[in-house]
Parts: sequence; structure tokens; C-alpha cells
Amino acid sequence: MGITTVRVTNRPGLRDPAGEDVLYEIRHALGIAPVEHVRTARVYRFEGISEKDARLLAEKLLAEDVFEVYTINKPVITDAASVVEVAYRPGVMNPEAASLSKSARDLGVTGLAAAASSREYAFYGGGVTAADIETILDRLLVNPTVETVMRAEPDTLLISGRPGETKIIPIRQMDDAALMDLSRDKLFLNLEEMRLIRDYFISRRRDATDCEIETLAQTWSEHCGHKTFKAELVVNGRKKEPLLKRLQQATARAGHPLVLSAFVDNSGVMEFYHGWAVCGKVETHNSPSAIEPYGGAMTGSGGVFRDIMGTGQGAKVIASTDMFCFAPPDIKPEAIPPGCLHPHYLLRRVVAGVRDYGNRMGIPTNNGSVHFHRDFRAKPTVIVGAYGLLPVSRAQKGRAQPGDLVVVIGGRTGRDGIHGATFSSGEMTHRTTEVNASAVQIGHPIEEKRTLDALLAAAEEGLIRAVTDCGAGGFASAVGEMGAETGVEVRLEQAPLKYQGLSPWEIWLSESQERMVLAVAPENLDRVLAICRGLNVEATVLGAFAAHRRLLVTWHGTVVCDLEMEFLHHGLPRRRMEACWQPPEEAAAPLTTLPANWTEAYGRVMAHLNVCSKEPIVRMYDHGVQGTNGLPPFSGLHGDGPNDAVLLTPLPGRPEAVVISHGLNPVLNRSDPYYGGLWAAAEAVSNAVAAGANPEEMVLIDNFIWPFPDPESLGALDRAVDACVDFVDTTGMPFISGKDSLSSTYRGADGTVIKIPPVLCVSAFGRVPDINRTVSADFKGAGNKITLVGKRTVSEMGGSVYCDLYGQPGGSPPRIDLSVLTGVLTAVHRAIAAGKVLACHDISEGGLAAALAEMCFGGGLGAAISIPAAENPVHFLFNETAGCFLVETAPDTDPAALFAGVPHQMLGTTVAGDRISAAGLFSVSLTALKRAWQEPMARIFGSMRAGNEGRGE
Amino acid sequence: MMKKPRVCVLRTDGTNCDRETARAFDLAGGAPQMVHVNQLRTGEEKLAAYQIMVIPGGFSYGDDVHSGKVLAVELTSFLKEQLQEFVTAGKPLLGICNGFQVLVRTGLLPGGRTDEISAALMANDSGRFECRWIELLVENNHCLFTRGLAGRVLSFQAAHGEGKFFAREDTLAAIEQAGQVVFRYAGAGGGPAGNYPDNPNGSLHAIAGICNPGGTVLGLMPHPERFVERTQHPNWRRGETGEPHGLAIFRNAVHYAREI
Ligand SMILES: [Mg+2]
Repeated sequence: MGITTVRVTNRPGLRDPAGEDVLYEIRHALGIAPVEHVRTARVYRFEGISEKDARLLAEKLLAEDVFEVYTINKPVITDAASVVEVAYRPGVMNPEAASLSKSARDLGVTGLAAAASSREYAFYGGGVTAADIETILDRLLVNPTVETVMRAEPDTLLISGRPGETKIIPIRQMDDAALMDLSRDKLFLNLEEMRLIRDYFISRRRDATDCEIETLAQTWSEHCGHKTFKAELVVNGRKKEPLLKRLQQATARAGHPLVLSAFVDNSGVMEFYHGWAVCGKVETHNSPSAIEPYGGAMTGSGGVFRDIMGTGQGAKVIASTDMFCFAPPDIKPEAIPPGCLHPHYLLRRVVAGVRDYGNRMGIPTNNGSVHFHRDFRAKPTVIVGAYGLLPVSRAQKGRAQPGDLVVVIGGRTGRDGIHGATFSSGEMTHRTTEVNASAVQIGHPIEEKRTLDALLAAAEEGLIRAVTDCGAGGFASAVGEMGAETGVEVRLEQAPLKYQGLSPWEIWLSESQERMVLAVAPENLDRVLAICRGLNVEATVLGAFAAHRRLLVTWHGTVVCDLEMEFLHHGLPRRRMEACWQPPEEAAAPLTTLPANWTEAYGRVMAHLNVCSKEPIVRMYDHGVQGTNGLPPFSGLHGDGPNDAVLLTPLPGRPEAVVISHGLNPVLNRSDPYYGGLWAAAEAVSNAVAAGANPEEMVLIDNFIWPFPDPESLGALDRAVDACVDFVDTTGMPFISGKDSLSSTYRGADGTVIKIPPVLCVSAFGRVPDINRTVSADFKGAGNKITLVGKRTVSEMGGSVYCDLYGQPGGSPPRIDLSVLTGVLTAVHRAIAAGKVLACHDISEGGLAAALAEMCFGGGLGAAISIPAAENPVHFLFNETAGCFLVETAPDTDPAALFAGVPHQMLGTTVAGDRISAAGLFSVSLTALKRAWQEPMARIFGSMRAGNEGRGE
Repeated sequence: MMKKPRVCVLRTDGTNCDRETARAFDLAGGAPQMVHVNQLRTGEEKLAAYQIMVIPGGFSYGDDVHSGKVLAVELTSFLKEQLQEFVTAGKPLLGICNGFQVLVRTGLLPGGRTDEISAALMANDSGRFECRWIELLVENNHCLFTRGLAGRVLSFQAAHGEGKFFAREDTLAAIEQAGQVVFRYAGAGGGPAGNYPDNPNGSLHAIAGICNPGGTVLGLMPHPERFVERTQHPNWRRGETGEPHGLAIFRNAVHYAREI
């Protein structure tokens, strides 16, 4: 029996929001006017069942008669100018297929060999040309990496293939040129590393298998091996300790009593309360997101969630965060380098990916930010974080014992993400999208959710000795690492596959998502398998840990990989890398002129992409699931005033809270990596302190996303690490987890090189003893005092939004004074803990002016402030020094007493009404400011469309 | 001490509001227990052993095809009799968010029988998943879950992508006539909200929740289980909201179950 196709669409006359969404994009992002209307239909194909059974599925499953109509084997939309079907490419696994098979089984339909689903778009409008359709497909609907336009009915939905053979690579005979040919576009190893591999096999008197070469390449990749961070540095001729070592030594020096696990496990762990611990991990997922933003962002989220799941002997994921950097969404398409995608598309699709993964897994996403800079046009920065809860008794990284079984649970293995680890370590080029298509897949959050449920159930019963996730490098990395101290034997033919046709090395290296590897003592196996079966999770024994310290992989009895763990994990020599560093040139001093029109200037700052409200994005994330949220991303009178951090109460009925926040500023990272680094760290912790967190009970996570480490970039990276180390040494807050991604460089065919702005993202998390002693940022009442707390040199306008808008020099970037920062943080925390603070917001992009306006938006209140005569009002309002706070206190509280000993300044009072005024300077309308602040993201995400307004229905 | 009614918290692949829903019943005096649909299918668990049943929120089976559809098909294929018995016995059955979608797609709402699907929860008019706090007006009707709440305006969080309540005109008229509308999205004045964002999804008649003719089966899109503690409200720092608004719904179910 062949394929039966069922097409389903909404009844005529009913709204089709998916179609309306596409239409909005066509009009607003593409500017194609002739398209008047878009309708969509869902297309289902079933192979191996009768038309009668297909009709049963249509009636019972696919189409609801209340609002839908369907057809079998013929078009369902017949009146459109053009109808196009977009489907996933064969081999890209569509999670919906498994549900179709399940429901068919449940409904008693037998013989179904395969099922698929896709979508049809119907375009209406007299003047729509074929060229218009091509543009729409190209720019909006089809990402050729994973999708394709269906131009004919498929012959079969089955993916067939015979497993490939293991190839022998004659590496012993290879000269330098041949070694580099082997490495290029695939292994991303340098000549020295390739020679080492050759020499190893010469000493073993045999050639290598493809599986062995691939295993070495991924273990030694920058992504997994962190070669730059571990390298011995020579900066301007002077030797310096490796970057990673300096960070770790600073953490050791801090000797923080709450740290339970730093830099050794899949995430960093700190003590919480009542025998519980919290852990945190932040990851980048730039390269996959650059070529397939939806799948890339999904797998980024899925991966970082699994890092949490794979901490200690298993942790529950309690929060997700997302930080993105893109080029401005209105950038001209011509400005986008070949091989790169437009930021309007990237932003929407990345958000959709983070949304669909976190929401479906039931993990609240409630802290994040989006930053824009033109130089992200060649590659976005996509950072995703996750946090977890686990008992202190299971918080230490587990160690597999010889004899323990290697058990893989979760998803099946397919040809997904082959070369993801090595690919992430390579630079983006005009060839990237073509060569690395297989490096991206579509995530399956439901698979990961049930795997999480099974993992936690097994963890609670104490059945897990060690656990890690299958991330970059797949089984090779996960099993290779877990067995590094013992040795391990794997029977690769045991691995459950999505489809046949994979070579052994592909199974071994595949980065198929949603898989966890457990070390399970033999006596616990049956129970683990039973738990998994009860939750519809596939669990398979792949092999066993050994005592021979070898990585031995067989395929139906034939050895495909036999490497000594010593060589695999320690054979890579420490690199010695040259860095050069020149302090940034003294920038021209900022102007002192005042704007002619304050209302306009204030509004422009509020509307700047790096200041404007990101609420339309945040609303797409479920921040309430798990019922733990005690400080949401937005609150206040109208629910639209932003807060600085998130507070979660993860223990039901208890007041103890986890605080999570972050900071980053790519503009400052580039202009001055040292002070940009300090800014990121200060902003991260200030965000947490503004909500009431105690700086003494907080830890940090670093993410360095840097251009390829040439001497210049490496010099800047070295300075950023210096900033982190100085920050730890003065504040006592240690880094306990971190990640680096050093591939933010684009090389075009014509020799163009674009260095994407470096990003240091610092995330902070900590514990708070009582949610009742925390504050939000919205002003609480009229007539209250507003005080500025913290030290600023307001003429340090470098990198500010104001100077960017007006094209003016900014002078030095804000030079955060570490000698006063700790005192300021402590004073603000104490004031909040004492119940003296009604609202608090820290200063970041847009300066004091933006912070003040946001507090007013939240409170539905105005403010009357005065600016000291000695200060330049522009600098005073728009300087962006992190580590400074606006604090609202009751009229009978004396701020001078509250903040004695730290820099502070009375600013004015909150007032009823719609205006922010500065004595003698201006009075601006809050309604106008709020409109300016909310408009940019509402336009991109089409929130204006969300209602019935102006729809003429 | 009075015996606590047993609450079956139904789970399957993609259920994700189960723990907080169980917690809400726990606070309300029930004895919640997680029950996987597999356990009902194998017979290891029986619905008859429970006095209350709840289908929590989440993305059952990824919301593939339609939200809640795959679970609805599974329930009507294998557990139809047990479900029908549970409802016929007048035991409280609650569906929240995805659970509401499941109940509508089994036919248990609004009709109370698993043989006909007469309403739908369609994609939000906005075309997207949205998470925001909204106000709900409680209608004066005979639903056991809202006893004593008629006329009140409750604050709950809505978090869904497919929550637009839709039915044909005659069905709508019938459920209005029978007093089966339990919750409507409320606008600024407390009256039914037609417009976004007060009505977050474009629901017809601003319907946010309905019950079966007997008032024992309730489904609603917003999440009462996310407001059973004071600090769960986004503006708890701005003043008193009184008892967390979700508690009464769970407590009503527990009290009712004790009586039957
Ligand atoms: Mg802030």
C-alpha cells in the first residue's frame, strides 16, 4: 500500500492565526504588498494503511468537525493564487510522527509503516508574482538546512540504508598536507595535533579507524577540550598562567563556604537550605543557531537542561534563562554577509525555539535579555542557562565503578548533529550552511521531559552511580568521559537507532538530543529499566565500565575503536599561545551640550533597542509553571514594569528563594575588555541585589564568547579574565561554572573578515532566606523618596546608548570602582532585608533615566527629581555605570542613615500623575515614554496584531 | 480527623503542572496521588479508587495534532468506561489548561459524554503562546468547584497557545442556557472582556471555563494551582489580595468529595 495524504484546514470564515502571522511577516519584514491573505493547512501522510483507515484517522484524530475540514489525497485549499507545502527534509526527525503512530495504534489502525506531517501555505492576492512567493519561501518559510518545498508526492516516507563499513584511515603514511586535508571542514584540528595522532598510531603499529580519528577530534576540539583556556599564555612577551587556572584559583582563594562543586561537574553547585542544593549552568549555542535558529535554540535549551539533569546523581530543572545578541532587525538584507541569516528571522525563530523547548518541558523561563549591535550580523550570540535543585547528599559528581553498566536512556540515535562539537569550534564561513547541514536537528522536548521524570525517579531511589548527558560528541564524549578513570567497553550495535544506515562512527559521534548516559550497578538495572518502561522511556544497556583504562568500542564483535584513555584525555599537549594587548586609546571626551528637545531625547533612549521593553518576548515564555515564581520578569500596576532578577521558591510552602540574574554588555566588552568585564559582573550581581539578594550568598557563572583567538583577541580575552579574577578577589563571589566559545569570527569567500563583538556574559545565582524580605522595581506610592546609591563618574559616557544614538564620543567607559562596590551591594541588601526599601532597580543601559522611567511605568506613578547644579544633566541622566541603584523609601525613612558610609544622593520623590520632571530642565509625559519603550519589540513580534484592533472583523 | 479524599492526578508524557496541582489539592485537604495513564491502562490503578480526578496542565504528547488530542484519543480508546463511570457517579473531575483541552477533546465537556465533540480550543487569535495574569469573572451557576464564588473576580495566570474557546452558535446558546459557563475573562470593569489582552486568546463569549450539565466536571484554561500561595501573585508586594484565589476551587472539590 502506498501513501495516503490527509489535508486539514480551518473551516472557511474562521480565523487562521498561523496564516495571519505569516502575513504580518510578509508585510512588515519583507514589505511584499500584493499578498492580501494567507491561509494554512496541515498535511499528514501515512504509509502502509488503507484509505478507509486514513479516513478514520482524519475523523477521530486529525480534523475536528467543529472547526475544521479535511480531504483525502486531494487539495483542501482550492481558491488561492498559490499553495506551497513546506516539509522537513528526510532524515530530520519530526517529533509529531511518533504521536501520529501512537494515536493510530490507540485507534486500532494496523500496518502503519511510517507517518509524516507538514504544512501548506496558501497565498491570496491578485498581484502576487512567482518571485514574491520565492522571496517568501526563501526568507520566511523554508530553512533549507532542515526544510524543503514539497514539489511532488513522495514515493516513500521510510528512510532506508545499509550501515556503512568502518574505514581504515592510512594515517601513518600521511604527510602534513594530507593530514590537513583530513582535518579541514571536518576535524578542525591543527597540524601539530594531527601529527600527534599520526605518531600515536605509528607507535601502535597500525592505522586508525574513522571512529578513532573522530573520537580524538571531538575530545580534542576547542568545544570540548578548551585548549585556549588551558593554554599557557605569553602576553606582550610576559608569561601568564592559563585563563582557566586563574579563574579556578580565584574561586579557590575565595573559599566560599556555600560552594559544593565548582568546575568539575556538568554544572556548578551551591548549598541551598534544609539539605538541598541549587546548581547552575549557562551554555552558548551560537553556531547551530546561526544556520537553523529554531532547531539550534531548541537543542541549546535541551542541552543545558540535560547539563542540570546530569549534575551529581541527577537534578530537577527549576529555571531557564536566555540571553541573545543580534544585529538590529531592521538592517538592510544587503548588509548580511553570504551564508548568514537576517536578524529579524533569527530573533523570531530563536525566541520560538527557546519558547517551545522550555514551555513544553515545563521549565519556567524568567530571566533573560536581548542585545543588538550591527556586528552581530554575521553570527548571533545565543546563550541559554538552566538551574536545578538536588539534595546535598547527591550533589557530588558520581564516579562509575568497574562492572557498572553503561545505560543510555531517552531518545534514539540518528544522523543528527554529526560534527557538532568540532563544528562549534570552527569559524563561520560562507560555506558553513552547506557543509554543516547535518549539525542541526529539531529538538524533542517531550522526550526530554519524560527522560527527566525517569531520571529523577531513579535518582530518588538511589539507583544512579553517575550520570552525564549526551551533548557535543555524543556517546564518544559522554561514555569516554565517564570511563576516563576506569576504562569502558561498548557494544555499539546495541544502541537504539532512529533509522538504519548509520556507520559505526556516526552512531558513536551522533549528537542526537534527549539522551542521558547512566552508570548503574548491575543489581539496580532491573529497577531502572522498570521505571523507564513505566514512563515510556527507552533504556538500553550499551556496555560496561572496566578496569583497563581503555576505550574499547565494538560493532557486532569487530573492534572499531581501541584507544588508551591516557592518550585520549591527556595526550593533547598544553598549548602555548601568544597574545598581545594594547590598552584602548583614550577616546575623545563626551560633549557637554544639552539636547534641544528633552522629550525627544528621553524617548529616543527609551526606544533604543538595548533599552526598550522586551515584554513581547517574555510573554511567550511560561514563567509560572512549577508554581515557584516569587518575582516575575514583569510586575506592577499594569504588569509591564520590568524587574532585575527572578526569585523562585523551589521548596513547596517554604519562604527560602533562589535568585537568578545576569549581566552582559558587548559594546563595552569590545571597547575595553577589562572594564567591560567588570561591568558584566557588576551588572549581574546588582540585578540580584536590587531584588534583595545577599552578595555574600551568591555565586557566578562565566560565558566568554570571543572571536577566534588570534594574538589580539586573545589579549582582550586575557584582560576580560583579569576583570573576572579581580572581581572575585574583591567581592568574594566565586565563579563555579563557565564555558567558552571562541569562534566569533566570520570569513567570507572574498576575504572579508568580521569579528563579532566579544561577549562576556556573567550569570549570578544565590540563595535568599525569606522571599518576604525582597522587593520589586515598581514604585509603590506617591510622595516617597528616591535615592541614588552607588558611585558614578558621570562623564564616563563611553559605550552609552545616548552617545550611540547621537553619534557622539563618549570618553572613557564606566570604570567601576571595585573598592566601593562591595560596600554598596551590602548596604542595599541590608536596607532591603530590614524592610526599609519599597522598590529598587539597578542602573544599566539607558542610565538613571531609563531605570527611573521603568520604575514609574511599573508603579503608574511619576517622579520629580533634581539634578545637582555641578553635574552635566545629560551625563547625570544617561551615564551607564553598573553597580548603582535607585531606591524608593517611605517619607519617614532617612536614606542618609540607611546608606551611611556608601556613596548616595537624594534624587527627589515619586508623584501622582503622568510626568517625570527634573527641576528647571524638563517635564516629560510617561505615556509618551512608555509608548516609545514598548513599540520596537511589539512591532517585531507583531503584538499590535494580537487583538482584534483594526482588523475590520 | 476526617478522611482525606483521594485525588488522582493524571500524568503522561509531557504533563508538566502535575506537582503544583497535587500541591494545591494537598493544601486544600485532599490526598493527591500521581497516576500515570500507563498505570490505568495496565489495571495497576483504577479510577474507582479515587474520589477526585484532575488532568493537569502541560503539553501532553507535545500537543501534537491538536493540544490534548493524543491523550484524549488514548483515554477514549482505553479508559472510556472508567471515565464515564467516574462522571456518572458525580465525582469531581477537573481539567486545567491542557487538561481542559483534553476534556473537550474527549467530549466530556461540555456534553458530559465521550461520544461527541461539540466544542474546541483553537489556536489563540494572537497566534502564539502567551503567559500573563488575567481576571476571571465567576458566573453564578451550579458548578461544584465554584460554590460560594459567584460574582467574584479572580486573578489567575493564563499560559497557553491554544485556548480560544470555540463552538457553533447553537452549541454556545445551549451551554449558556444550561448555565455551563463557569468563568469568563473579565475586562477593567469586571464585565466580560472581548478584547486582547484581557481576553488573551479571542475566546467566544469570553469563555475561560465551562462545566458539564451536572456541574461536576470543570475545565478552564487559566491556572488556579498557580495561585494557592500569597507570593505567587505577581503583585503580592503591592498589597493584600486576600486568600490566594485558587485555593477555594480545590477546597470546594475536596469538601464536595467528602460529602458523596
Ligand atoms: Mg537591571
